[in-house]
Parts: sequence; structure tokens; C-alpha cells
Amino acid sequence: MGACLALALATYVPALPRWLTAVVAASIAMRLFLAARGRTAPNRPVRLGIAAAAIAILFLQLRTFNGLSAGTALLCLVAGLKFLETHARRDLFALALIVYFLCLSALLRSESFWLLMYLIGVAWLTAATLLRVTPSAPRHGWPLDLRYAGRISAQALPVAVVLWLFFPRFDAPLWQLPSDRGSAQSGISDSMNPGDIAELALSDEIAFRVRFDGAAPPAAERYWRGPVLHDTDGRTWRNTGPTPQSAGILTPVGPAYAYTLSLEPHAFNWLFALDWPDHWSMPDARLNSDDTLVADAPVSRPIDLTARSHTHVSTGEALSAMARRRDTRLPSDRNPRAAVFSAELRRSHPDDLGYVQAVLDLFHREAFFYTLSPPPLGDNSVDEFLFDTKRGFCGHYASAFATLMRAAGIPARIVTGYQGGTYNPYAGYWIVRQSNAHAWDEIWIAGRGWLRVDPTAAVAPDRVEAGLDGSPAVERGALGFRAHVPWITDLRLRLDALGQMWRQRVLRFNQLAQFSLIERLGIEEPDAQKIVLVMAAGLVLAFVWLMWQLRREQRAEPKDPAVAAYRRLCRKLAAVGLPRHPHEGPEGYAARVGRARPDLAAVAAALCESYSQLRYAQATPQHAASLQEFIARARGFHPRRKRSGSAEAPGRA
Amino acid sequence: MSEPLTQRLRRAGARRLRGWAARRHGVDSLPLTINRRRIYILPTRFGLTLAALLAAMLIAALNYNSNLALAFAFYMVSLALVAMHHCHRNLSGLSVDVNLEADAFAGADAVFHFMLRNASSLERSGLEVSLEEEKPARAAASAPARSDERLALAVPVSRRGVHRWDHVEVRTTHPFGWFRAWTYVHASLTVFAAPRPEGSRPLPAAAGIGHALSGETRGEEEFAGLRAYAPGIALKHMAWKTLARGGEAAVRVYTDLGAQPEWLEWSALEGVETEARLSQLCRWVLTCESRSARPYGLRLPGVEIAPGRGPTHRIRCLRALALHARRGDA
Repeated sequence: MGACLALALATYVPALPRWLTAVVAASIAMRLFLAARGRTAPNRPVRLGIAAAAIAILFLQLRTFNGLSAGTALLCLVAGLKFLETHARRDLFALALIVYFLCLSALLRSESFWLLMYLIGVAWLTAATLLRVTPSAPRHGWPLDLRYAGRISAQALPVAVVLWLFFPRFDAPLWQLPSDRGSAQSGISDSMNPGDIAELALSDEIAFRVRFDGAAPPAAERYWRGPVLHDTDGRTWRNTGPTPQSAGILTPVGPAYAYTLSLEPHAFNWLFALDWPDHWSMPDARLNSDDTLVADAPVSRPIDLTARSHTHVSTGEALSAMARRRDTRLPSDRNPRAAVFSAELRRSHPDDLGYVQAVLDLFHREAFFYTLSPPPLGDNSVDEFLFDTKRGFCGHYASAFATLMRAAGIPARIVTGYQGGTYNPYAGYWIVRQSNAHAWDEIWIAGRGWLRVDPTAAVAPDRVEAGLDGSPAVERGALGFRAHVPWITDLRLRLDALGQMWRQRVLRFNQLAQFSLIERLGIEEPDAQKIVLVMAAGLVLAFVWLMWQLRREQRAEPKDPAVAAYRRLCRKLAAVGLPRHPHEGPEGYAARVGRARPDLAAVAAALCESYSQLRYAQATPQHAASLQEFIARARGFHPRRKRSGSAEAPGRA
Repeated sequence: MSEPLTQRLRRAGARRLRGWAARRHGVDSLPLTINRRRIYILPTRFGLTLAALLAAMLIAALNYNSNLALAFAFYMVSLALVAMHHCHRNLSGLSVDVNLEADAFAGADAVFHFMLRNASSLERSGLEVSLEEEKPARAAASAPARSDERLALAVPVSRRGVHRWDHVEVRTTHPFGWFRAWTYVHASLTVFAAPRPEGSRPLPAAAGIGHALSGETRGEEEFAGLRAYAPGIALKHMAWKTLARGGEAAVRVYTDLGAQPEWLEWSALEGVETEARLSQLCRWVLTCESRSARPYGLRLPGVEIAPGRGPTHRIRCLRALALHARRGDA
């Protein structure tokens, strides 16, 4: 039981404070150690002391017992300490209940197929342990107990599947999930420091998957729009709310792309639609005045979003004075060299677009490098980057570009989000990972509206065209380990395709899926009532199967090969008109056969004699050998039907 | 406070069920094969707690639409349902036999020998038989496939007399302890509790006393017990060990082999309290049976058992002592 508990607790280790894991592990180890020494649990004051101390520390650390992570920590602690005082059957039962509870609550937060399998394994082990604490349970040893527990588990499967498929689901939750603030979730955040996106780029975590209905836009146009950053202190850029003006009307220019985006949960409410969305399926999503699609609440659970976007739009209308002020503001005391440089460049390029091109040319011409491990930068990060280090990631280029634009009076803002994606040919969708996180700029050009400018593309165009992995311009600093082995990539794509199927078919299974399942069973206009009826019918079938299984087990013949061979022998004799009567033993049968068919007498008597030896005599060392011999002889025995009047050759033996 | 109440309710419920079952099935003839119609099954406290836990988790999983937690919860529900059938099947078809009468001394255990015959091809584990007492007597065993399992149920009897039970409970919580299946075997089980063998009086052997006084030879004689020392008895017959242990002065008494039958008389213990009297008689019966080749008879008020020897005779005598009416008993 200790093992079961430890295994169930192991799933919580990442969520627990490290010292708590140590305390729980120590109390389990201590109990096992004491048991091995034949001693019982430490006495009550000691146990209470340990418990009180641990709970007090936990409270001091977390300041609350409310909320999922605190509750989990407390539960794990209690489980470990409970194990310390286990001695009677009752305690084992209590432990089993704790194990089941841990399993279930671990699954409430998880989506992993492997975790489910693992916890079913834990439940199986727990069941086998419970078998062993039945009063006077025979000492079978683990293999047999595990087999029996496994058999019961297997018999439980059909009923479980029927229940899972057809049990009516709620379409809206009865109460809201307590959200856990503060638990770190990776992803794009609402501010950007120079090094932030480089950290994200190291993460293989999946941000979302996209399936396009029809053709996908070219790689250079797959910009997934996240938060727009307007305000800077010269180093950090922040999202302090969208532009204070109503959302502009986007006039589509290019072709439309329809797609379904399966977004993984993250800490904010950005939906990362393709630039620029004009239709979407979520009722509680809207386009804010930065043209970013946002949900009303943080994306705390995986969601599917069906949307349509145009990769080219025109946002041509006036920028309010307030918005213009905001998007040209720079802190006056930072990055002085950039300001001077910009003023010089502006003198030779009074035209806005010419100035933009000049800055891009600068990035392209001078020795700027694209790297994931740039040197650290100080407070005047743009100055240092532009004139000293000249090494950076998309965030550096985007903020340097925006700074130079604003210095020249051109409204500029930074857009963060994702760029690119990996195509999975096995399932036909695109995977966008955190490593696809990207930052680019938008500038306001009078008469044309907001224009997307990606300065990174000027330095490392492959980064935009082929993604990080395919970009030779990327210095392999921290990412050097990311070996580009084709078959590993291939395997990863296949696994991801399976995972996506698991997500679509199993995790997102809901009332709608139930309805379509029932429709496929041939029931029209499905509703909740019909689902219940189908469930009842399914349960009846499952129970009939179960009863049949139980009967079959009970009637199962002992698997004695001698019996099986003897049965075959009797069938052969029955075929020649000499069936064995139910009451006859081997000797009596052989005698009767001998009387009826003197030609078979000797063989039948010998066979029946060795059969009774094998079955009823004391086992001898030669048992196995004589068993083999008996089976071979019985197999070689072929009595023929007696022809009237003529003596028949005896069966070969 | 609530604990005794639930216990009382449980007992009352069990009593009603038993009464109903007894009316339904009548007295069973042994060996009894337990058919499925007489097996009752309910969740244990462990099972109820698990059910509550599962119900809570189901609601939580439905609320959060967590399909994995739902899958696990349904798997556990289904496991419990299957375990219920396994629990039921563990009793169904089991054949039970038991000796209906048992003998014991008051203060010791009476033993009923159960024979659990498992004709099926499946092992039945964790079978329990129990008799309802103040402290229920229980014994548990497992019967492998196609075998007979013997199971001794020791019932402590504190008082002399006849103890009867009109039913035995056969039950199991196999496989996981979530359910308890049970059945009542309605058969009258009787324990004849003979008095506790006590008392230090020597056998009232008529011939014995004279012998100790004059006996010189020992060839044909057998040690028969002790009796109180009286002045004039030869010191070589003194039981020094008894004296050394702080007992009364006593002398060893020898009897002839093959002498006259010994009569163990109620009347020989005039003036002794009834239970002590019966205890002394019981001790004498045991002494006679083990130490002497002489036949012995027993005379109680209203009962006379002709002299004899051997286990059957011994049982007859002990049962007569057990059956002797208690004072105050009707």
C-alpha cells in the first residue's frame, strides 16, 4: 500500500514545495523502515508533533489552505502522515481511499493519456493490495493477486466505457473552477524585456494547433497576433491597454483563410488569431481596438476557435491625436545615442517610407546577428544593442526599430504573438509552439494606416520564411542541442498527430459529440433523454456480457492436458458408436469398449489405465514424461467404424 | 453516542432480515448449498465511503467537463459493480456443513467444525463463518477450487449449561472489502457446556480409603488421587509435593485395577454449593476416564447413568452435568 501511495503521490511532486515532498517521502520511508524492523508506528505525541509542525510550515509558506495547490499540498501531507500511523486494516482502507482521491484529483487538472494509464495502473495495484488484506486471504503472492485484480478490472471496462460515452454531460458548469493565480504558465505575457522571447524560444511547449480549411497562407504571412505593446521605459515594453479609440474597420485586400485553432490554456485572454481576423465562432470573443482577438476571460482551459482571416488588410483612416501621442512617446532620458542617430538619418530621409527603408537597410547592411543568446544589456538597451553588441533576438530588433521610428515621429507599436508553425503531414494541421513566439512592429503611415514591418526579417529572413529550425542565420547558442534529425522530427509529428486525435476525440468529448455519436447509431433528433435510454440499453448489454463472463469463468474446465486428451479419446470412441456413459470411470469404460470391440480392447485398456494413473495416482517424477506419452498415444489412436462381418484392424497406438 | 445507535439499528435490521429469511427458508437441512436467492449483499462502511468519494468526484468531473477524471471515476464505479458480482459469486454455490452439537467446559471454547465444499472451478477466498454472541465468534478460510475446506469455529462459552443458536452467518467481503455478501444457515447449533472441572476432593472410592491405610503392595494398584490426611495414616503415603506447595496435608490413594465400578454420587458432596458440586463431579469423571480402568457411573438427582467407560460414556456423563438444571432456570 505504501508503494501505491507513493506512486499516486508521485504525480503531485511537480506541484509541491520541495520540502513537502521530502517530508512525505521521509514519513513513508520511516514507516517502511519500522515495519521491516518489526516495530509499529511511532507513538501518538510524535506523530501529532510532526503533523502540527508540517502543517504550520505549510501555512506560513502559502498563507492559505484555500485553492487548488494549497489543498493538494495539504492532502499529500496528510496522506504521507497517515501512512506513518498505518497498522490495522482500517488504516489501509483509509489509505486506499486517499489513493483513489489523489488519482481522481490529479486527473481533474490533467489531459495526459499517459497519466490516465499510469493512474489506472496505480488503481490496479491498489486493488491487488486490497485483495491481500481480505481476512484470511490465501497467500498467493503478488503475480496471482495482480492477475485477479487485472481480471476484475478488465471485466469492469465495458460498463465503464458505456457510462463514459453516454452519461449525460452538463453543458455549463454548476460552479466555476477556482483559478490558480501565480502558478507560472509559459507563453506570451503582457510585457516584453529584451531577453523574454529568447526564453520562450527554448520551450517546445505547444501554444496552439491550426487546421486550415483549404490552403494555408505562405509562411511569411503566418503572423498570429497577440498583445500589442504601446508603452516603453526605454527597455521594457508593456501592454497597458489597447489604443483608446474604437476599432478601425479592416478592409480586406488579400484572400481569406478559414481555419480552426485549438488553443492551449495560458494565463491571458489573447486568442492568437491569424493577422487579421474578421469572423470568429466564439460568442465571448471580440476584436479590440488593437485588432487583437481577445476572449472575455483568461484562456484557462483548452478551447477550439473557428475563424476567418485576411493576411492583407487596409486600416486606412485617421489616427486619433491621443493614439498618435501614445505611439510616438519615448522616455527622454534613455537611449540618447539612438535619438541622435535617428535625427541624423531623418535629415537625409524626410519621407516616412524612405526612413523606414533606411533603418531596415541598416539592419541588413551592418553586422547585425540574430542569436538566441545575446549579451546582456543595461538600461539603455536600445543604444547598447544598436551600437555595441549588435546581437539579438526578434525582441531586440522590434524594440530598436520601434524606438527609431518613434524618435523620428512615426507612430510605432510592437505586436507580439507567434510566427510560422510546423506542418504535421500525418494529421494535416499546423503546430505552433512557444518557440514560434515572435515580436514585430507596426507603423502608422498617413494614408495607408498601420503597416506591418518585421525588422527581424531584414536580418534573418529565413527565421520568418522557414522558422527557427530551418534558419541558418540563427546562431546555435543555447539551441545547439536541437539536433535536426529527420526521423526524430518525423516521430514527433506522428506522436503529435496521435495526441491531437486524443484531444479531439477524448478530451473534447461533450454533449454535442454524444449527440452525433447517437445519430450515427441511427437515432434521430438526439436529446438528453435519448442519451439516457441509450446508456440504459448499453448498460444492459454490458451486464449481460459480464454475467456471461462470470458464468464462463465458473464453468471453465481445469486446464489439465490429460483431461483434454482423454476427452478427445472419448469423442473418437463415440464416433465409432461407443460413447462413454456419464457415470463410467476410465476402467469401466475401457472394459465395455473391450467387450464390444475386442480388437480395440488392448489399446483402450492401456490408454485408460495410463489416464487414471496420470489423474488419480500420486505424482511421480516421471509425471511430465508419461503425460506427454499419453497425449501422443491418444492422438495417434484412430479407431475405425466396425464393418459388419469382417474383423477390423486394431487402431494404431 | 451515535456509534451505539447505528450498531443497534444494524442489529435490529439484521434481526428482522433473519426472521424473514427464516420464515422464507425454514430450517435448513445440512449440508446446505447456498443458492443465489438467499444471499444478501450490502456495501461495507469502506464501500459506502468509497461511493461517497466517487459521487463527489463524478460531480466535480462533470462540472469541469474533465473527461479523464470522468473516465477514471466511471472505471472505479464499474470496478465496484463488478466487485459486487464477484463478492456475490464468492458465496453462491458454496456448500456448508457443520456438526450440530459440540461439547465444551464452561470458560473454554466450544468448537464447531465447518466443512466448506467448493465444487466450482474458482477459488473462494475470504469466507467467514460467525455466530452472534456478545462478542461474535468468527473464523475465516479460503476454499481452493474443487476442494473441501475445514474450518474450526471456536465459540467461547462462559456459563455451564446448554447454549443454542438457531442460525450461522456465512459471509465474505472478498474481493476488495467494498461489499459484504452474507447468508444465514438456519440450523440449530448446540453447545453442551459441562461445568468447569474443579475441586480437590479425592474420589469417593469406597475401597480406596482402606487401601491407603493398609496398602503395602503396589503391583496391581493404580494411583487414584489424593484425600485429606488423617492421623494414623502411614507417612510414606503422604503427598509431600502438595504439602510443599502449601496445600493441605494429603495422602495418596491407590485403587485396585478391575475393582468394583465407581459411583460418582451427587449425594457424596452434601453441603457443597451446586455449581461447585457439579464441578467436582466433572473433575471426577475426567479422573475416572483417564486414570482408571474401572467403569464409573454417575448419579445426579433424577438422572442415573449406568457404569461404563470410553469417549461416548464420558460425553454422556458430561452432558448430564451440563443439562443439570441451573438454579433459577426454568
